[in-house]
Amino acid sequence: MLQQIRLGLLVVLMVIAQVALFPHLRVDGVAPDLGLVTAVAVAYREGPNGGAIVGFSGGLLLDLFLRTPLGLSALSWAITGYVIGVLQGGMVRSSRWAAPLLGGLGGLLGGTVFVLVGGILGSEDLVNSNSIRVVVISATYDAVLAPLVFLLVGWALHEPRTTSRVRGGRWGA
Amino acid sequence: MLVLLVLTAVTLITLDQRGAGGGLISGARDGARDAIAPVQTAVDDAFRPIGDWWSGVSDSAGLKSENSRLRKQLADARSRALAAGPARRENEQLKQLTQLPFVGGIPTVATQIVSASPGNFVSSVELNKGTDAGIAVGNPVVAGQGLVGRITSASKQRSTVLLLTDPASEVGVRLETGEPGVAKGRAGNNLLTLDFVSPDVEDVRKGGVVTTAGLQNALFPAGLPVASVVSVEKTAGDLDQKITLRPLVNVGRLEFLDVLMWTGSPVAPTAPAAPAAPTG
Repeated sequence: MLQQIRLGLLVVLMVIAQVALFPHLRVDGVAPDLGLVTAVAVAYREGPNGGAIVGFSGGLLLDLFLRTPLGLSALSWAITGYVIGVLQGGMVRSSRWAAPLLGGLGGLLGGTVFVLVGGILGSEDLVNSNSIRVVVISATYDAVLAPLVFLLVGWALHEPRTTSRVRGGRWGA
Repeated sequence: MLVLLVLTAVTLITLDQRGAGGGLISGARDGARDAIAPVQTAVDDAFRPIGDWWSGVSDSAGLKSENSRLRKQLADARSRALAAGPARRENEQLKQLTQLPFVGGIPTVATQIVSASPGNFVSSVELNKGTDAGIAVGNPVVAGQGLVGRITSASKQRSTVLLLTDPASEVGVRLETGEPGVAKGRAGNNLLTLDFVSPDVEDVRKGGVVTTAGLQNALFPAGLPVASVVSVEKTAGDLDQKITLRPLVNVGRLEFLDVLMWTGSPVAPTAPAAPAAPTG
């Protein structure tokens, strides 16, 4: 329970940083998706369901501040969290490249789903050649920030007890 | 689990796009923006210098070329200003005579930009004032040189400006020759495309300024300077000329903006006494 409260607070903090801080720290006009990287980090540690729930929550929170349809970030981040959660099962757990690799991959996947689903659901303005540039830069930015976000998520989900837990058990089957 | 989340998200998207939800969605958005407003202001105050430094680092090549271009423009403007005094006074008198709605008659609200859009796919900025200051959805937003965009949402303490350069932005304009067209935002390069100008139209001058057309039911009052012509391309067989515009206002380096209390509605209480939707 304590871990989930900490994780909830972390998601809120990430979205606040995304809304208030990172518009000042854009690279070539593009900001990272901190909430998405948080979902990826949770998916890496907790599996697909945890990644999907955190992705949905963070995305929905961010959607409140965007002009794009409410639920679009939630949808694309939930799918991304789920897919990364499925993929991470085959990864070497101790690899130090896991965080930037998954952060970048999550950024690419989340951005692509956001643009395609947005286009299909009526936001045709999203589908243009510039979106490729935006998704690639954003994913690179996500990869750079991922080690820090993975550390924070690790702190939020840290359990002092030594008892073992089945992966994904905290979020249901 | 994923199926449930996807269905929920699709339902929300559908409700939002259809304007359903009984004001719940817009209320939630307004509440969230007002709740985060103090944090946003504090972070903006603290990080604006860092943000300016960061912009300089990440856009140094662009700054150098812009610097040289601006130096040249400044030299040109100085020489023109010396000769423009009588014309300006005459222009002021003509404006007073014709009572164009954008001259003096429209009240303005001075605002400061507190943030750019947190998302990557929308060109918008957040202003530090909202409905409490009289700002309403649809109000045009201008800076010193001309039009910047229009208000697309407003909570009590915040409002959002959709910039001219956003792909969803469309502005009815007139060329110097009087020909109408529609200036549409392009994604990613701070340029606009001018559509619906027939290949028969001659004398589209490079560097010429286009202004808002202010046609019936237009989103903007007539005569607001919008952009200058960057390039003109005619291709045999095309129905339109390919005209590229550059906004007169550098949307990437704005800080203070004026919101015009103009909604285009003939019953708007803040509309000027002069004709609110001029023809032409």
